[in-house]
Amino acid sequence: MAASLKQSSVLVVDDFQGMRTLLRDFVKAMGVTKVEVATNGKDAIEKLSANKYDIVICDYNLGAGPNGQNILEEAKLRKFIGYSTIWVMVTAEKTMDMVMGAAETKPDDYLLKPINEALLEGRLQKLIAKKQSLDGIENAVTAENYPAAIKLCDQQIAANPANSQALLRIKTDLLLATGNYEAAKEEFEKILGARSVPWARTGLGKVCFLTKEYLHAKEILQEVLEENSMYLEASDWLAKTLEALGDREMVQQVLHQSMKLSPNSPVRQKNFADAAYKNGDLDVAQTAYEKTIKLSEHSINKNPTVYAGLAKVLTDKGEPSEALKVLSVGKNIFKNNPEASVQAAVVESMAYQKLGEPEKAMAALQEADGLLESMGGKVSSDVTMDMAKSLFALGEQEKASSLLQSIVKNNHENTELISQVEALFETEQLGEEGRDLINESKKEVVDINNQGVMLGREGKFAEGVDLLRKAVHNLPNNEVIIMNLCGMMIGLMKKEGKDDGMLYEARSLLDRIVELNPTNKKYHEYSNRLNQIKGMK
Amino acid sequence: MDQEDISFTDFIASSIHDMKNSLNMQINSLEKIAIQCQQSGDTPTFEKLGLIIYESNRMNVNLIQLLSLYKLGKSIYPMDIAEQSVCDVIGEAILQDKTIMDFKGISVTVECEENCYWYFDRDLVTGILINALNNAYKYTSDKIRVAAWVNEGFLEIRIEDNGRGYPPGMLQEGSVGANKGINFSSGSTGLGFYFSSRVAGMHKNGIKQGSLTIENGGAYGGGCFVVKLP
Repeated sequence: MAASLKQSSVLVVDDFQGMRTLLRDFVKAMGVTKVEVATNGKDAIEKLSANKYDIVICDYNLGAGPNGQNILEEAKLRKFIGYSTIWVMVTAEKTMDMVMGAAETKPDDYLLKPINEALLEGRLQKLIAKKQSLDGIENAVTAENYPAAIKLCDQQIAANPANSQALLRIKTDLLLATGNYEAAKEEFEKILGARSVPWARTGLGKVCFLTKEYLHAKEILQEVLEENSMYLEASDWLAKTLEALGDREMVQQVLHQSMKLSPNSPVRQKNFADAAYKNGDLDVAQTAYEKTIKLSEHSINKNPTVYAGLAKVLTDKGEPSEALKVLSVGKNIFKNNPEASVQAAVVESMAYQKLGEPEKAMAALQEADGLLESMGGKVSSDVTMDMAKSLFALGEQEKASSLLQSIVKNNHENTELISQVEALFETEQLGEEGRDLINESKKEVVDINNQGVMLGREGKFAEGVDLLRKAVHNLPNNEVIIMNLCGMMIGLMKKEGKDDGMLYEARSLLDRIVELNPTNKKYHEYSNRLNQIKGMK
Repeated sequence: MDQEDISFTDFIASSIHDMKNSLNMQINSLEKIAIQCQQSGDTPTFEKLGLIIYESNRMNVNLIQLLSLYKLGKSIYPMDIAEQSVCDVIGEAILQDKTIMDFKGISVTVECEENCYWYFDRDLVTGILINALNNAYKYTSDKIRVAAWVNEGFLEIRIEDNGRGYPPGMLQEGSVGANKGINFSSGSTGLGFYFSSRVAGMHKNGIKQGSLTIENGGAYGGGCFVVKLP
């Protein structure tokens, strides 16, 4: 980051020539010598990829093509800009994205038109000072040294208690990320003692969600929305909570409300579409999926499950040929994404069944099966579930049952998912047999895990590692077993000394955990311990 | 894009975006020309330009208020009550009106402690402040004072001038109601008052609610525009 405004390099993005020149002249008048301009989204991305800027002043509304928010997201995701880059959105009116978007993709500030030089300069100076004061914390976070980051937050809060909200927000986010739910709860309650602040109350709801107190979470989050119906973060978490509670109709209702407030967020639109599909609301789901595709047109965050979702809706509506068209578009976009290919193949087989072409349906499933194999089974349970449905429809009962068993084994503590498996067995008139299989599968995993825990207690880490390693090979998606294997490896290395191969293996396990569940409670603790071991002689 | 994809809100928003671009350009160009006039000693043109810039500012304020009210009415305004530096927000509002104040030779003073932070929606409260400053500009002789402090769980912001004050008819009720001030012959639509009292009332903390009052007196004995936010 440049130490001062004058030394900064600045990029101005605006499609309107007059405003572009005006903004550039403002910046030049502030004594900045390195100023470049971009006239549209494509131009901006090209410049951002080729040069490093300290400050980006970007108009939100850029006519046809990507808007300012799309550019910001792409630049962040592709790492053209880092934390230290200051991004100021210039706009005629603020949007939900600007104030309530995810922290990672929110601009540092926004300025409402009309703006003048003094106003812009004042804001830029303040933003530079703010970035500098948060520099130490950010470095600690980047180095994954969360305890140090939290300590720095505390120091800065103590130094200036009157202006501590921003720091408290960072601190509580860190506490949540490191699984310190009790400490986070205490902070939230302290803040709420003085004033009902929506982010803090939502934080309290998050704590309840993360500690699986879903009913309590629901109550708290509903309270936030009663006070402030526009607080989208609360409705996002409420939807998650209701999903965990299995109340699908309410999920759809809540998402429908937030859609009205934030109609241009592809993520929310997709969640809404998913919820509508699960509720059998096919027309609503179709419209929402189509809108998601349109909204993501200029976004780098395209999601393959949207195309699969739309194809499923079309198949269910009796339009399988349309479904196949959608799938072929999706396949083309995500040709380098193996999971997307499995998913597309599975839905393709559903569409072919509907078309009355069982051979083609079977061929598609075989393709999916082959891909699944080559990925070592690392596919989401949703896709696996669809595959089982398709196999049932083709009369491949045994294969389908075995897939469902693998879902249970990989998620033996996920009651919501297991009840879905049970329901599927039920639909196939295999209720009783299914329940037996589910219980058997659960028991198998619990037994292995108990055996592992026992070995760990007895200090027989090497044996434990062997046992759990085999288990993880068969259950590549089981969070509990993966984490226990990682814990076992840590125990072994603490006892017997560092082993580079094992360190690498344990680190890959943690990487897999983040893919499976970014909020895993033990992740940061284990990550820290691995770093400690890495530092051992 | 299909016809039904264009919602009315999007339509208004994009039109306002466009209008604000034009206004932004217009105001900045006028300011440049005005400074040239001042330097070359063309005082009459300089003063006329001041009036034009004031009217452009008013148009901008009206646009913001209309769009905000439309969105508040449909419950789609992204209300964002967050901790703000009161001095900064006041300072920025004054900065936006600085040129017109300079034209008329009005001095604006601020009384607010540097360490004063409070909770409110930054843009809405800036809207209130600019509206109040524009009003004070119209009625003051040559002085405006903006004072802010926290008192009994409320942030109180006062915008005071040294003009003749509000006419008695407007002061009859304590709080400023919805249709106060509509007077088509004088060009006052009451939009500013309505916007300000609506926005103040949307700020709540527990059972406490924000309010707007007008009175005469204050430090200069003129009109006082008082916003209280819990």
